[in-house]
Amino acid sequence: MGSNVCRACHPDIWAYFYKNPHFKSIASGKEPPDHTGCEGCHGPGLEHIRAGGGKATIIAFSELAPNNILNACLRCHAESVSRANIRRSSHTLSDVVCTNCHSIHKSPVPKFLLAARQIDLCYGCHNDVRAQFSLTFKHRVNEGFMVCTDCHNPHGAPPPTWRMAARPRMVDQVFANEEACLKCHAEKRGPFLYEHEPVRVDGCETCHYPHGSTNSRLLRRPVVFTLCLECHNGVDSFGRHNNGILTVTPTHNLASPIYQNCTTCHVRVHGSNADALFMR
Amino acid sequence: MAQQPIAPTNEPVGSTHGDNVSDYNIVNSFETGYRFATVGGSIDQYRATVNYDDGVRLLSSFLTVNSKDGHGKYFDEIVLTTLGLGNDPYQNATLRIQKNRLYRLDMQWRLNDYFNPGLRTGGQMGQHLLDTSYTMQDDDFTLFPQSNVRFFLGYSRANQNGPALSSIQLFSTQGNQFPIFQNVRRVYNEYRLGNEVRYRGIRFNWMHGWWDFKEDSGFSSGLNAGNNPQSPVTLTNFTRIEPIHGTSPYWRGNLFAERKHFAVNGRITYNAGQRAFALNENAVGNAAIGFMTAQQILTEGNASRPITAGNLLLSLFPSSKLTITNETTVNNIRIDGNSVYSVFNNATETLNYLAFEFLGVRTIANETTLNYQLRPWLSMFGGYQYSDRQIRSNEASIFDGNVFVSPSQQTNILHEGQFGVRVRPMKPLSILLDGSIGRANRPLTPIAERNYQILGARVHYKVKPFVLSASTREVYNVNSVTLSSYASHARTHSVNGTWTPREWFSLDAGYTKLHLNTAGGIDFFAMGQFLTGQQSLYISNLHVGTLTAHFDLHKRADFFIGYSHTQDTGDGRATAAGPGIGSTLPAFQAAQTFPVRYLSPMARLSIPITEKVRWNVGYQYYGYNELFLNGENFRANTGYTSMLWSF
Repeated sequence: MGSNVCRACHPDIWAYFYKNPHFKSIASGKEPPDHTGCEGCHGPGLEHIRAGGGKATIIAFSELAPNNILNACLRCHAESVSRANIRRSSHTLSDVVCTNCHSIHKSPVPKFLLAARQIDLCYGCHNDVRAQFSLTFKHRVNEGFMVCTDCHNPHGAPPPTWRMAARPRMVDQVFANEEACLKCHAEKRGPFLYEHEPVRVDGCETCHYPHGSTNSRLLRRPVVFTLCLECHNGVDSFGRHNNGILTVTPTHNLASPIYQNCTTCHVRVHGSNADALFMR
Repeated sequence: MAQQPIAPTNEPVGSTHGDNVSDYNIVNSFETGYRFATVGGSIDQYRATVNYDDGVRLLSSFLTVNSKDGHGKYFDEIVLTTLGLGNDPYQNATLRIQKNRLYRLDMQWRLNDYFNPGLRTGGQMGQHLLDTSYTMQDDDFTLFPQSNVRFFLGYSRANQNGPALSSIQLFSTQGNQFPIFQNVRRVYNEYRLGNEVRYRGIRFNWMHGWWDFKEDSGFSSGLNAGNNPQSPVTLTNFTRIEPIHGTSPYWRGNLFAERKHFAVNGRITYNAGQRAFALNENAVGNAAIGFMTAQQILTEGNASRPITAGNLLLSLFPSSKLTITNETTVNNIRIDGNSVYSVFNNATETLNYLAFEFLGVRTIANETTLNYQLRPWLSMFGGYQYSDRQIRSNEASIFDGNVFVSPSQQTNILHEGQFGVRVRPMKPLSILLDGSIGRANRPLTPIAERNYQILGARVHYKVKPFVLSASTREVYNVNSVTLSSYASHARTHSVNGTWTPREWFSLDAGYTKLHLNTAGGIDFFAMGQFLTGQQSLYISNLHVGTLTAHFDLHKRADFFIGYSHTQDTGDGRATAAGPGIGSTLPAFQAAQTFPVRYLSPMARLSIPITEKVRWNVGYQYYGYNELFLNGENFRANTGYTSMLWSF
């Protein structure tokens, strides 16, 4: 039928459709009919017109099951790096599909046809994350310096190269295959001659809460020495040598405040080029 | 709705659909105003937490230009947004320009004035102060974005500059620690080049990038008594220069093919991280009473960390109701390098140390997931993952002509299962129940996941004028071994509701409880004794509530109020010392919980003067209060007034 027929009954949608990214397919005039215009997404409209409208006579996304919405959009949007893992992503498995976050005809934001500002979309379901960003120390998402997609891929990320390649499933990778934190925290990226193994093996979350914390530097504990000692307890079977992670030596009197801030001496806890004990 | 800082103003101005100029449609708004802040109490904590200051700002701006026929001469779309320009600590600007079928350019620039006064714990101070400015930009250019053959160019840059304090221990392992000045100077540049080709339904995408990092932060100190006044070890003069150059060329290749009943995605990546470094450190001071020491440390060497990662994802859709995915992953990380470490000391003999390090991490994983729609209102998913991670290590060194070699190897195997049920008993209501269970046999650290279960539920109800969502998640992890135990239990309960009964009124309220309870075995020395069987306990009991309301007062004014309340009630104790469980040392007992309160009410009034001009005024209070210590408490009155206009 062509999009010009549709505009007769849906002028409100057509009036500003030229701002819609999908309008590119109409403007180009080179796309096949099933990949452009209204019928590219909503299917053939003849029956819909004959019936005088109605959601039963056309593909109405508000009536589709989530997996059908996903399949409909992926007809054109499947083959992309950012959506390569969409079918196994946590969102898909939770029935959070395209139209949960994207509003094709009434997007109030200028990019990506989002149904709302990205921060409001994400917080709409992830209220616990919103709470974490309300804590005293946090990445500056509420302040507008960052957005969730700086670190996350809402369409699903490839298996991580840290931890056990199982989780997290939605954290994006930078520089082809590294943890997202290293995009900004470049000085902690290394490589270092003496790596602090948990950083490379289990990732930054070993010691830090990435969203927010009441503890300075997003640490998992309010003091440094308990954070360190919970791993550095010498308990057998852990560590790279399977015989425990190095415990403090007798020179460390943990009853003294001097020894209660480990990073005063072990300043390069993320890795060092000069010293296996991260002293410089 | 996110509760953001009081400014910029959220209310719209001007026509939503903009104005037509020639063949283009233009929508724009600009907000300029004055922000103020007065702070009482700990300014350091305020700067680390909030950091807004006085001054004139371009609080926000928004501009879109769209061609109406999709055939603009030079461009079809321009989108420009800015936030906080002028002198806010958090600034952001984005620009997109594109012409259909020909090109798309995306640019982003950001700035974060990061201040951390070395806050270490509740009320205590560390010595690693950071007062730096961090700017970053990302530019991406796509040529022929709608074509079967596309080209990508990208450039990113970040730099961090500013003063900092660090610390160092010198002359003796039982000596003294000295705060030292650091002039932070770091920069990285990243260049990207890529291409995508689509042929016969198969799409191949590749990207080649070059990441280049340089740091030449300098360290220095003059006469320095150190942290320990009882120590005879003092510092007279200290300098360190430590140039570092890291480079990481990387490759990424992706292959996609999707047919009616299956899809294949393959990815192969290689990142050749390398770093060259040198260090020259000179220190003069007293190693003991009457023993003047001059010490020089030289280090030079290099390190590399090539990472190869590949995965193959096969998706099958035997019917419209069933999706089966299988993903095989191989990650290989090899970290190695060497360095010469030399110490020249007039009190002890010269020491030369040559170190070789290797750390290799190889992970192979396979995951199968099944997603099935049983009924239109009922669906389920389940999956199983097997991961095998091998860590190999070889630490070798030559010291005084003697060779020391310490190889090791360990393998951790994880079996993880996941399951979930989704129910939609009626259209506006969706319920998700999900869980995971994992068993690992040899995690690297005592706090890593070994025997864990994750249970979650989520409910979403949306019927005008209500949106209600609630979720709960419990994460259990037990990593106990012979003679030591570790257990953690994290609970998250959250509920959020939005009510918009009238066009002129909306209400949003949310509450989240974040509860964490861990117990980990620790061993350490104190007062000459080796204390074993002690436990590090930590209880965090965070309650976070937010409330916002918006009133549109007869189109003559918009009134917005909001309140955010964060409180960690800890374990309920009245004093820092606690009940004396877990550890015999008071310092450990005091670190078991950290009750704190952080609240922020706000209000904003926005009055339309004309259709295209608004006057805005807002106020936001921040109050921070630690229960056991009060050295870092602060209260801040912040606000702004601005004009928001469109033309």
